[in-house]
Amino acid sequence: MFQEFVQQIVNGLVLGSTYALIALGLTMIYGILGIVNWAHSELYMLGAFVGVFLVVHLKLPFLLGLVLAMLVMALFGMAMDLLVFRPLRSAPEMNMIIGTLGISIFLVQAAVIVFSPNPVRFPTEFSDAYLSFMGISITLQRLMVFCVTLVLIALLNYIIKYTTVGKAMRACEQNRDAAKLMGIDINRISLITCAIGAALAAAAGTLVGPIFLVSPQMGLAAISKVFAVVILGGMGNVPGAIWAAFILGLAESLTAGFISSYYKDVVTFCILITVLIIKPAGLFGRSQIEKV
Amino acid sequence: MLKIRDLSVHYGKIKAVRQIDMDIAQGEIVSLIGANGAGKSTTLRALSGLVKAAGGSVEFEGKDITGWNAKSIVEAGISHCPEGRQIFPRMTVMENLELGAYTRKDTKNLSVEYDRIFEYFPVLAQRRSQMGGTLSGGEQQMLAIGRALMSKPKLLLLDEPSLGLAPLLVEKIFEIIQNINREGMTVLLIEQNAWQALNIANRGYVMETGSVAVTGAASELLHNDHVRRAYLGE
Repeated sequence: MFQEFVQQIVNGLVLGSTYALIALGLTMIYGILGIVNWAHSELYMLGAFVGVFLVVHLKLPFLLGLVLAMLVMALFGMAMDLLVFRPLRSAPEMNMIIGTLGISIFLVQAAVIVFSPNPVRFPTEFSDAYLSFMGISITLQRLMVFCVTLVLIALLNYIIKYTTVGKAMRACEQNRDAAKLMGIDINRISLITCAIGAALAAAAGTLVGPIFLVSPQMGLAAISKVFAVVILGGMGNVPGAIWAAFILGLAESLTAGFISSYYKDVVTFCILITVLIIKPAGLFGRSQIEKV
Repeated sequence: MLKIRDLSVHYGKIKAVRQIDMDIAQGEIVSLIGANGAGKSTTLRALSGLVKAAGGSVEFEGKDITGWNAKSIVEAGISHCPEGRQIFPRMTVMENLELGAYTRKDTKNLSVEYDRIFEYFPVLAQRRSQMGGTLSGGEQQMLAIGRALMSKPKLLLLDEPSLGLAPLLVEKIFEIIQNINREGMTVLLIEQNAWQALNIANRGYVMETGSVAVTGAASELLHNDHVRRAYLGE
């Protein structure tokens, strides 16, 4: 019982890490650019495929492959900003929504054509290594998902809190016009935000690809959960998204382990609906009234 | 220093500013007064590059800055302290000030500006690690002015600094604007509080429905019949 419980906690942390890494980019792009990016989980899917290519085909060490996949997808995120977000920025909001849905459909179908619709295995040097402790065994891959996620969150936190770019990002999020008056180049901040968001999503894909399978549909399967995370954490709220990701990840895997895996999505969305009824701004939404 | 010719700004079909001319000389305080919706704030937003002008030209220190983006205009030396303060609510006082110096390359010398701003507004020094959003209205206004000074501008655009402040605080803000000006800053001041604004200004412009209706030395405007009736409540 105890072992089962710990096992499910570990699974929950892995799931929560995935959600957190994807949700961070989604919530940042919403907060800073004001865009609801429906294509965001496709960056996770593509990141996983890039990871497969680098680690399985080019036989690079996993961690190097992870970093490279993040870099490749950061460039991809910048291209997305330049080619789709920027031209649509001054257009009506609906155009942007259709635009991001378009990117999503385009990327999924392109992945089906290029990589085939069949799921791909993504074995790494950590897949078969186990760590056993008090009768509980976890693969190193799972342990690494959680550890790398913590490192990335710490890094992101440092960037946002203490660097000039991070401060400029927060300024754009809090008051875009005032940010412009400070001389902040909004286009540059958008580009950086998209790059960071895409890199984090790619990290999620490369980290959990070896645990599950890699397929063109994996992004579509994740997006509704990730939106639940972002809404639960409060739209645009970075720490909120992190907490919400782990809350949902744990709730899901404990439900799957102790009730039934059929009910895990039910629990997720029940939590979401309950929170929205009680706290419409999200669990960590800003309820304080700001003086103007 | 600043030369505006035929400046027009349109929001869709609405002509918010129609072909205005304006000049500001080095070291002056120039007040731009007028009713709500006369186009004062829009003029300022066009000067700082937040909105694009539909026509006309703006020249700053001999350079044609028409159509420049907000960043280049800050770098050229124009700083805009916007209406309604617009500070960053979830950042500390220090972070707000720091962002004011975003375009500056000489980040080593920022302490000069911090000292000067804390001298003008001692309360900001006490609240330096407090979030901007938790400050009172007056303190936020001080922070907004301080933040605008951080870029070491040559021309300071102030949009309604007295808006919503208690009378005593209004006095104080106007006093500080005069102090800043005495130390060499050129100021373009937008105000609905016409009497106060003309009292500290060298010259004034009165805007009505998008155009400059009256202009002249501030002392003349204070005695102009039209201005007295329409804006000074006599």
